[in-house]
Amino acid sequence: MRKIHFDACPECDALLNLASPAIGEKAHCPCCGYLLQRPRKQSIERTFALSIAGFILIIPANLMPLVGIKILGNSNDGTLWSGVIMLVQENMWAVAILVFLSSILFPLLNIILSLLISAHLYFNRPNHYLALWMRCLQHLEEWAMLEVYMLGIIVACVKLSSIADLKFGFGLYAFIALLIISVMLASSLDRYLFWQRIGQARNEQS
Amino acid sequence: MKIKATALAQGLIRCHDCGLLTKISNSSDICSLCGGRLHARMPHSLQRTAAFLLSGYALYVPANIFPIMTVTQLGKGEPHTIIGGIIALIESDMIPIAMLVLVASILVPLLKLVGITLLLLCVHYHWQVNARLLTLMYRVIAFVGRWSMLDIFMISILVALVDLGGVAQIIAGSAATAFASVVLLTMLAAKNFDPRLLWDYQR
Repeated sequence: MRKIHFDACPECDALLNLASPAIGEKAHCPCCGYLLQRPRKQSIERTFALSIAGFILIIPANLMPLVGIKILGNSNDGTLWSGVIMLVQENMWAVAILVFLSSILFPLLNIILSLLISAHLYFNRPNHYLALWMRCLQHLEEWAMLEVYMLGIIVACVKLSSIADLKFGFGLYAFIALLIISVMLASSLDRYLFWQRIGQARNEQS
Repeated sequence: MKIKATALAQGLIRCHDCGLLTKISNSSDICSLCGGRLHARMPHSLQRTAAFLLSGYALYVPANIFPIMTVTQLGKGEPHTIIGGIIALIESDMIPIAMLVLVASILVPLLKLVGITLLLLCVHYHWQVNARLLTLMYRVIAFVGRWSMLDIFMISILVALVDLGGVAQIIAGSAATAFASVVLLTMLAAKNFDPRLLWDYQR
């Protein structure tokens, strides 16, 4: 396969010379300003490490209570799942599914896929599914909304603070840690490098 | 402003998923690196975006009219609309949070709907515009879309927490489904819009 030394901007289709920015530099499209490349230090190693950490944190963040309330002696705890379950019980299926996907399933898949891809690249084990996983990961990324959920927790707590006593559970701390990990994960994953490595792995295989 | 050379004019297609440049050929439309389907421009971009957008407009009305949740305290039920919830926050002197909810659940969906309409009109009528500025607007729209889910997540938390039988209970209302659909539809509309079309008709 002949190597093409050009690149095109995905948002304005300008044909560009392939840039090779150093670590810490950014390459922007001169026409529309799109961020083309942003190489990160030890991208594969960091993605691997962060996705392991995220995978561990996702368990307490899902299962342990995030916030508890107490009104007139009656108390109740809320986890990530209890909101979904309550919505299903109230027959709000569409909302329940949307909340389940964007706060539980997609963040989980995001971390599992990052873990699989970075592990295979780190241990240099080419795999037939790498390209498929990477494509899935790219499409899932914007639908995992942990940071929006965090803001939802804050607004809900502010609303409740006047009528109830609130206490924060261990799940909330795990959730905040998971949120930080997933933001770091998104910024450490250098798509350009990952696709390059997947391409190399494929060429070595064939 | 016009781009000197586009990839399409040079007979090249950039893969939407992995970014590999491939020569346009009749024999194959599958990317050799990632296996995705190659398109020079997103297929039926305008039609799909317009379809999602119109559904979004239609659902924006019930999302704001109907109650998004019903708060029952000591047997007394009280339905809240989105605007009602914001007014309640202002009345209890929580102005910053009220502003946050106002921006996330009323202004952002509305500006997204109007913004995507503007993008569609520009492409459809081949208006001569500042494509760089509109691309920037597209990026902002695509970025802020997810933050409108704030209200839906807040309701999911409130519903789970405030479930104390007769003392206090919060039940999600019909507007929650409509509002969630608006957020989903506008996100899909933004995702299906191809910003490269903005640059194609600039002379």
